[in-house]
Amino acid sequence: MGDGADPQVWEVFRQEKDGDPMRHAGNLRAPDRDLALHYAREFYGRRQESARLWVVPRTEISDLSDPDLLKPPLDRSFKKPGGYVMRDKLDQAKRRARKEADR
Amino acid sequence: MTAEPRRPTRQLIQPDLPAFDSAALDPARRAALAELLLTLADDEFVIGFRDSEWTGIAPMLEEDVAFSSLAQDEIGHARLWYEMRSALTGEDPDGLAFGRQPDQYRHARLLDHPRNGWAFTMVRRWLYDTADAVRLAALAGSSFVPLAEVVAKVRREERYHLMHLDAWLARLAEHSGTPRGKVQAALKALAPDALSVFTPLDAEQALIEAGVLEAPMTELAARWLREVNARLAALDLRQLPHTDPPVDGRSREPVHESFAWLWEEFTSVARLEEGAQW
Repeated sequence: MGDGADPQVWEVFRQEKDGDPMRHAGNLRAPDRDLALHYAREFYGRRQESARLWVVPRTEISDLSDPDLLKPPLDRSFKKPGGYVMRDKLDQAKRRARKEADR
Repeated sequence: MTAEPRRPTRQLIQPDLPAFDSAALDPARRAALAELLLTLADDEFVIGFRDSEWTGIAPMLEEDVAFSSLAQDEIGHARLWYEMRSALTGEDPDGLAFGRQPDQYRHARLLDHPRNGWAFTMVRRWLYDTADAVRLAALAGSSFVPLAEVVAKVRREERYHLMHLDAWLARLAEHSGTPRGKVQAALKALAPDALSVFTPLDAEQALIEAGVLEAPMTELAARWLREVNARLAALDLRQLPHTDPPVDGRSREPVHESFAWLWEEFTSVARLEEGAQW
């Protein structure tokens, strides 16, 4: 960013504690990367609620929200793990195992 | 009005002020520490009120939040220093903060200036925070352990203040034209009072001999000048003249007009009803 540029929007991600995933926290305006981090610290970190913060210029984020790609109209249930019904097979296997153990 | 003892308005999970036995200190050492603590407390208290004037009118919303938070941090540090002094002298910390006459405050003259514009406020705060950092570093190894403990905590918070002010100084200085001109003008206007943070203390020698303060204020001032002038040179800004700190840099004779106004402001609620319990 050059001198005196208008503030741009930064998306802020925060990690609540070490080992947690980074989650989207919100966004803010800042004229450069340093101030973006400072403001992120004020908005999402000054009450000791964050272990780590990331700031990303919104313009650097690629967006995909096309329903043709994300919500196709045809049945896709076979692509989900739930498409295979395991419950009955699992019950049978457990019964078999108990019988083996009782013997 | 019944004089019930004041109850704390909030319960701290972990008290910031370490407990200590002030009776174990000899009176001369206690008095020396009390003088030092009053200068630390008044500096933080006055800059905290000065900078909180930007709440609601800073250049942008995000900075408004950030700078108000920085101002609030300084009031928090002032509270610690007033409480530590009170633990030594038996004074009431609220009485110290709000119950004195304007000429009894011992903050550095640098903090007497009104906030003026944004560039002026940034330059003044940068000068103060960098000076405060040198002073805190000289207290970090204090033989008076409660002081060293609080200094360690305060320095961790001041790191972020320094980063923020340094980012702003660079932003304004690198922006040719009006902002840069205003930074230069502020440096010129503040130069005569910049060293007042290092005004020698009456008890300075005693503090050094007791291992509380690492070096005389004049030496700390020279350290600070080297640091800030190197940074100013890197930004191609005007230098601060190499002089000794003023001897009267914390005297209120006469009380600066702008501080008299600020005092009216920050004591206005406390003066509504003397002795009221909040």
